[in-house]
Amino acid sequence: MRAFNAAMIVVMLAPIVLVVWISFTPEAFFRVPLDSFSLRWYREALSYPDFVNAFVLSAKLAALAALMATALSFFAAYGLVRYRLAGRGFLLGFFTSPLVVPAVVFGIAMLQFVNRIGLYNDLTGLLFAHVVVVTPYAIRTLHATLQAVPEEMEWAAMVLGATRLRMLGRVTVPLAARGIVTAFLFCFLLSFSEVTMTIFMTGPALQTLPVRIYNYLTDRIDPTVAAVSSLVVLVSLCLVFLANLAGAFKRLPR
Amino acid sequence: MSLEIEGLEKHFGDVRAVAGVDLAVGHGEFFTLLGPSGCGKTTILRVIAGIYPADRGRVRLGGVDVTEAPIHARNMALVFQNYALFPHLTVFENVAFGLRMRRLAREEIRRRGREALELVRLGTLAERYPDQLSGGQQQRVSLARALVIRPDLLLLDEPLSNLDARLREEMRGEIRELQRRLGVTTVLVTHDIQEAFAMSDRVAVLEAGRILQTGRPAELYLSPASRFVANFVGPTNEVALAAIRTVGDGTLATTSGGLAIKVAARPGTDAGGKAAWLMIRPENLRLFVAEGETDNRYEALVEDVVYLGAATSCRLAIGDLRLMAAVPSTIGARLAPGVRVAVGWSAEDGVIGHDR
Amino acid sequence: MERAGWLFVLPLALVLATGYVWPLFQAGVNSFHLNTPEGIDLGHWTDANYAKLLDPLYQSILERTLRISLIVSAITAVLAYPVAFFIVRLKPKVQPWLILVYVSPWLVNTVVKSFGWSLLLRSNGVINTTLQHLGLIDAPLHLMLNETGVIIALVPGHFMFVLLPLWAAASGLDPNLKWAAGTLGAPPWQIFLRVTLPLTLPSLIAGLVINFTMNMTAFAAPAILGGVRARTVSFLAFQVNLEQLNWPLGGAIAVGLLVFTLAVVWSGQRLAFLAVRSGRTRP
Repeated sequence: MRAFNAAMIVVMLAPIVLVVWISFTPEAFFRVPLDSFSLRWYREALSYPDFVNAFVLSAKLAALAALMATALSFFAAYGLVRYRLAGRGFLLGFFTSPLVVPAVVFGIAMLQFVNRIGLYNDLTGLLFAHVVVVTPYAIRTLHATLQAVPEEMEWAAMVLGATRLRMLGRVTVPLAARGIVTAFLFCFLLSFSEVTMTIFMTGPALQTLPVRIYNYLTDRIDPTVAAVSSLVVLVSLCLVFLANLAGAFKRLPR
Repeated sequence: MSLEIEGLEKHFGDVRAVAGVDLAVGHGEFFTLLGPSGCGKTTILRVIAGIYPADRGRVRLGGVDVTEAPIHARNMALVFQNYALFPHLTVFENVAFGLRMRRLAREEIRRRGREALELVRLGTLAERYPDQLSGGQQQRVSLARALVIRPDLLLLDEPLSNLDARLREEMRGEIRELQRRLGVTTVLVTHDIQEAFAMSDRVAVLEAGRILQTGRPAELYLSPASRFVANFVGPTNEVALAAIRTVGDGTLATTSGGLAIKVAARPGTDAGGKAAWLMIRPENLRLFVAEGETDNRYEALVEDVVYLGAATSCRLAIGDLRLMAAVPSTIGARLAPGVRVAVGWSAEDGVIGHDR
Repeated sequence: MERAGWLFVLPLALVLATGYVWPLFQAGVNSFHLNTPEGIDLGHWTDANYAKLLDPLYQSILERTLRISLIVSAITAVLAYPVAFFIVRLKPKVQPWLILVYVSPWLVNTVVKSFGWSLLLRSNGVINTTLQHLGLIDAPLHLMLNETGVIIALVPGHFMFVLLPLWAAASGLDPNLKWAAGTLGAPPWQIFLRVTLPLTLPSLIAGLVINFTMNMTAFAAPAILGGVRARTVSFLAFQVNLEQLNWPLGGAIAVGLLVFTLAVVWSGQRLAFLAVRSGRTRP
């Protein structure tokens, strides 16, 4: 049993470990480095403008999308949790529904849509698409977070004279801080990793990092792409680490 | 089937849950393990059932050593505190489960299943699912499921603690009735003294993984072997003793305040230097006693009177000594703080205990 | 007072309505019109696009995609139980770390993962060179650029969609139930069959449903590891939309996929509901 589970873990981690390992090869082809390691391909990757630009674009896009999704979802979740709106359940379901729609379907629909309204190859269109895709995670997290913030605290602040908006900023947001940060980090990670929908709706002028890697793979093959991929893995690990610091994983079931 | 446990030990990490337990339950006997939470009683039950392996010691059922036997081979039935009914099966399916495991014929399963449900008066609910039943009904299904397989040993793990007070009393009687009728050897685990006393033939009081005393309820109550047992089974007065002397065929105990008390002789009453205490049950203190009516008689001052309905509790002062007395309220009506009253008790009512 | 609530909810609702519902709707509308060299002929409504989907070529691609997805889900279902129950028996502090290992594919994008698999599976990749080195095979195994490669990559890639709900269900199982079954005479395999399995089945089914739809709509893995011989529906969608620029047909594919996904999810939920009540003998 233990052997089986160990094998499963190896299978799960193998591709990622391999990519990172190979990125340190001094050779010009894919050979697992055993005695000599080199940062040659990292230098190569960092001096390759296409990759650097794609990285910057992905980071910008992820930051903006996460920011927008978190902000919009925060207010929406607040409305759902604190007010007895008719159709609350339906609205929550609606906000979470993008989860059910396959990325390919999104890709097709967004492609046709942005072309129609002239936003093809435009960051705005892509941004909207990413916001839609990461919203379910944001709304779920923030909905749970705000449910856990006692409403009494807000009433106490308002009784003392704060308007709702000021109260939100000074009471609710600090109390929900952990959930907000968690939602942001997850949205960032998801947007940064989003590839299928993005491939469909972007052209050569607007390549995010995963898309750039994909196109590179279909073009030529050298360890540069391994180095870039390793950097992507590094970014993901950092985000998970940050999320852990923010207490994202404390809610996991026993 | 009789049950024997010899030298049982069980620890979890560095916690010694069971630190050396021996006991013997006769065939058809209703035996209870009584103790506060954490005393190891549930652990013992689970070791008997085979859920936990013992670290040391043997378990014998009907003379046969079953210590190494797997859970499913022991023919014991365990009724859990939370009933542990299978939520995905109907009431009937739950009850029939043990019979299916024994690969009985379909007809027989049907018959015995119905019988068991009739036994606990739940025949009409056979098709319901556990989440559609009340707590008391679930408990009865749990019982039926245990009894239908005709176990050699019935184990009950605090089966009544999740029920409300009235239901608890009702079920107490029903379980005892069933047990007598079927004659199945039973071990009950509980922290409720009333439950233990009402249902059991014999009770073992446990603390910190050890059995302190085993005996019939009256023995435990009237002749507790230690202060812990005395206090656990009911409220008691404890009087610190300075000296104990054998006088005639009885014992004379002297309190630190100089009061002399006659106590009936009992084995193990010799102090030998260890601090000794005299224990007297509040209801054994009689008020308004005449000269010579009881072995011990003293003048006391009533300090406090609490009316409790059928009984009245009062605090008496004899010099520096404070005693709680429990009297029927008809007598208690004559008491008020400041009243002087003669209090007495017989030599048999006092029990001398020693610090361990 | 109520109105403030709507104000809070409105911005997100608007964004989703315009960036989510409307595009899907539009794609759906497009699918009912014909594509012409001059653009989409919005004058006439037609179901020709959907008829085109029934073409044997497209059908064989659908068949292949279904086959791959079902095989992946089946393998996952079998592997998920031992993994879930192994993790559940570990110390509570250790469990999240293992769960993280199984969730890790989701944290890295599928292109990098598929790239990693290509390094393992190609003819001169790690697996083949090692096996040849050890003398276990003479010629390299064809683990890539075919369906096998796609299956091998998708199993770990989508594993967590089944593992997480199954693990949660297994964690929530009352240990008393297993012990009760044991005392009633059930040996361990019977306990699994009659107690553990029925009670965790709904979670398994829910997870498998998601796993299956993710398999059906995966893009990067089949594209990189499947090659020409294992084109799936997602790649077809790519070709139709981005190479042929036939948006009505592309829209039809989108609608088809969406309807298929919703149907699977819906029937999965019904199945899970039925699985809860899985007792057998009649009294």
